[in-house]
Amino acid sequence: MIAFRSELPLKGETSAGFVVWLVMVLVFMASIAVTTNAYIGALLDHWNQSVTGTLTIQIPVMLDSKDPTSSAMTARVLDVLNRHPAVETAAAVPREKVTELLKPWFGTGEAVADLPLPVLVDVRLSTNDAAAINAVSTSVQTAAPGAVIDDHRAWLNRVIGLAEGLGAIALTTMVLVTIALGLTIVFATRASLAEFSQVIDVLHIVGAKDGYVAGQFARRALIQSMLGGIAGLLAYAPVLAFIAWLASRIEPGILPEISFPASHWIVLGALPIIAGLIATITANVTVRRALSLKV
Amino acid sequence: MALLRKKSDFVGDTVQLEDVGLRYADGPEIFSNVSISIPQSSFYFLTGPSGAGKTSLLSLMYLAKRPTVGRLKLFGDDVTDAKRNRLPAIRRRLGVVFQDFRLLEHMTAFDNVALPLRIAQVGEATVEKNVTELLKWVGLEDSMQARPSFLSGGQQQRIAIARAVVHRPKLILADEPTGNVDDAIAIRLMQLFVELHKHGTSVILATHNEHLVSRFPFPRLHLKDGTVTAMPPAAQAP
Repeated sequence: MIAFRSELPLKGETSAGFVVWLVMVLVFMASIAVTTNAYIGALLDHWNQSVTGTLTIQIPVMLDSKDPTSSAMTARVLDVLNRHPAVETAAAVPREKVTELLKPWFGTGEAVADLPLPVLVDVRLSTNDAAAINAVSTSVQTAAPGAVIDDHRAWLNRVIGLAEGLGAIALTTMVLVTIALGLTIVFATRASLAEFSQVIDVLHIVGAKDGYVAGQFARRALIQSMLGGIAGLLAYAPVLAFIAWLASRIEPGILPEISFPASHWIVLGALPIIAGLIATITANVTVRRALSLKV
Repeated sequence: MALLRKKSDFVGDTVQLEDVGLRYADGPEIFSNVSISIPQSSFYFLTGPSGAGKTSLLSLMYLAKRPTVGRLKLFGDDVTDAKRNRLPAIRRRLGVVFQDFRLLEHMTAFDNVALPLRIAQVGEATVEKNVTELLKWVGLEDSMQARPSFLSGGQQQRIAIARAVVHRPKLILADEPTGNVDDAIAIRLMQLFVELHKHGTSVILATHNEHLVSRFPFPRLHLKDGTVTAMPPAAQAP
């Protein structure tokens, strides 16, 4: 068994509990930021995969008959699409499905049946190349002037903008948490240096090097931060489970079901270790600097 | 005994002060123009009235303070402006007994005495052997695992002395090391210092105890009114 001997009277130290509690809170906050960041990333990936390589073509009803799926214009569009080399599949969305999509807003009554709904054509492309997408758009415009072609980029870009903003907030939180952890350790270490100044004097006089004294403080900071970090993670676990349960109650159409990547769980598990390393380095540097000012 | 060393280990003066002065911040000078040279294997009493600066002079020698003016050499090395990273090696050749003991309250008597050896990374078997032997010698074999606060002033003083000599220093600086013990124990502790001195360790022992000074044939450094005067032994060698 490895036994550590400490010349500093760490038990009952004034700042010990304070550091553990504060690190617990900081790791809890960092965990929220890590999960937020991972969730946003996974959500973006999901949306990106859903819309990349697809087009939605909207053929306005005024250009066609009441039941346009069988109309000549739709047939022309589908014909152009199916012959285009960049198109993998192209199919008109059945009117029933369009009606279904509108159900939350218009219900299922006669009003919907009488609505002049446009024809929607779902297109899956075999490439993401912008030139190929433009070529497809041009062909469709030629076949059906007035058709609206949506490659979802505008919508996705706005969502990406929002997600990147939220990601930046999560990152800022991580930076602030790191700074707060560093400052906590600096002040706690300074308080301990003052509290144990006589012990440190004795250690120096019997020949201890600054590095030896700094090592004792660093080891103490490591243990306290690891304890606080583990406590912070344990406190976060039920919160994460609760949020996941709340998310599971939302319909998949509004919020897709997201599973976190392995990296999310690895980073979460590493948070106490990261906190410990930051604390160790900070305590070591703080003590060495303080001692360098002595005789 | 195992604590002692051969005289041939030492070369040159142990302590040299050249026109040394000391003052705290903007306060008055504690002493000035002090020039003394402590040869190897010598024994000096440091005497003088309270507040004369005996403790301050010793603190210069154990490198807790630096001279305001003048030069200080220890073991032939000029340490007046020595960088901090040079000091631990020099301090490991010193043994210091503080007037207020400065024992570490959270440690047992054994661990307090073992401290200089452990700092020097001496093997635990040697630590066990030397510390046990020394604590027996100073009559504390039954109190090895006791915390200092549970021991009397005299017992604490003996632990402080044991800690100062356990690593076989070349120079012992003792500030009133017999101030809290009765005469019988004082004589026994003095015998420890004398025995170390006979085997080559230099000793500078600050004391108010005139009885002790008159009993041992060692020269004195008398500190008064900011200057040091070398005085002959108060007692004849037996």
